[in-house]
Amino acid sequence: MLFLHEVHRVAGAKEKEFEVAFRAGWMEALAGDGDARLLWFLHHAHGTGPSYQVVTVTGVADGAAWERLAGRVQHGDLVDWAREVDSCRHDVQARLLMALDFSPLEVGLADVPTDGRRHEPALYMEDTMWPRRGKAEEYIAAAGDVYTRMLGSESAHRLISIEAAYQTMPGAGRYPEVTLMQKVHDMPALVRLLTTDMPEEMARPGSWMHDALEFRDQWRSKLLRTASWSPLN
Amino acid sequence: MLFMHEVHSVSGEHEHEFEAAYRDGWLKLLAQDDDARLLWYLNHAHGSGVSYRVVTITAVRDGAAYERLAGRLRRGDLLDWSRAVGGLRHDVQGKMLVPVYWSPLQEVDLATVPTDGSEHELSLYMEDTGWPSAPLDDYIRFWDEEYFRNMRAMPPEHSILEIEACFQVAHGTHVRPEAILMQKIVNYGLLLNLISEPEEYDPDVWPGRYMHRGLRYRDQWESRLLRTSTWSPRY
Repeated sequence: MLFLHEVHRVAGAKEKEFEVAFRAGWMEALAGDGDARLLWFLHHAHGTGPSYQVVTVTGVADGAAWERLAGRVQHGDLVDWAREVDSCRHDVQARLLMALDFSPLEVGLADVPTDGRRHEPALYMEDTMWPRRGKAEEYIAAAGDVYTRMLGSESAHRLISIEAAYQTMPGAGRYPEVTLMQKVHDMPALVRLLTTDMPEEMARPGSWMHDALEFRDQWRSKLLRTASWSPLN
Repeated sequence: MLFMHEVHSVSGEHEHEFEAAYRDGWLKLLAQDDDARLLWYLNHAHGSGVSYRVVTITAVRDGAAYERLAGRLRRGDLLDWSRAVGGLRHDVQGKMLVPVYWSPLQEVDLATVPTDGSEHELSLYMEDTGWPSAPLDDYIRFWDEEYFRNMRAMPPEHSILEIEACFQVAHGTHVRPEAILMQKIVNYGLLLNLISEPEEYDPDVWPGRYMHRGLRYRDQWESRLLRTSTWSPRY
């Protein structure tokens, strides 16, 4: 499966229309066949980054399905929808992602809700990392081994869990680049993370924060809140 | 047909190794099957933009072939090559392109694309990337009606360039709205005039009419002057 990841710079005055276009337009238009499903519709939480940014992630069955979907947008039944959505945003920056071996996300497209059912919002910390030159594979191996083990060991008071792990597909974004979708479980712990310095023991040799510096020191975290109707929550 | 467009930020001290990796690696590795072929290997001309940038464009048969190619690069027989190339550049920014309805380049017969690295003279391209404020489809049509058709009708002695291809981004692989012109420079003297002599555009006569009307569609674009390598399959 491929994942179409889009960052939309939405026109503030049209944010509601934009959301409707995805809920009543994109989500339902994709439900007509088995090629793709909208998985997440996420607001970049105001106060934590740029204004009026929405992240959407769409699951796509495979390369052939993606080509069909791109054709629908370029010259098929989704042309008018794309034109309407364009009028509600400044632009969109997109990329295609491939799941890493340790990604836990297992979703069958046929099982993804397409009816806009409501739920409580959830918060995600989406981390995008740019490994050092020539270190991409080592970083991915270490993240799959050390980092996931570290998060697992904190299960009693888990701050976050990895829901999905991706690398950017060649020719469809930046390389090397790794993206983790991490669900936030503990809001008070998130506040502590934001308001206190990193404990010394977490910066010592043998810790992930220390040892992973060999592979990368550039990343960006986004705090993303699901819409109340986002198919995955 | 899909076109994989990649901008490589090359490590300056490794530029020759990087080029060799594409000539002796990518070009020939792709020739092992019918999924894809390298079309252009282009150096962003020093003195006209950012340093040590290389643009490559690879034709890919279709979406299924693209997925196979990505699999070869990330976990298949091209992984070692990818790892080696990753050590020769800072990063790469890729996007998948599809031809617009009026693009002279639509399909490429992959079987006819040279894969032997045979050498030839250099040529220069002007690659224009535009980000319209108007609807993307209107911008693409404007390019057809007000730019492409006029350029094509121009007498050869007045032609600065030849439009070889026009692309838009395949959905989900880069910025929208965006469209790209791949233009071969055919008269370096006229290019020099364009660069060195300020132009007063008459809004009632082409090309002034194009420049003035164009502001209804866009005022943001970027031109790159790209020089083919001696072995680039297309030049």
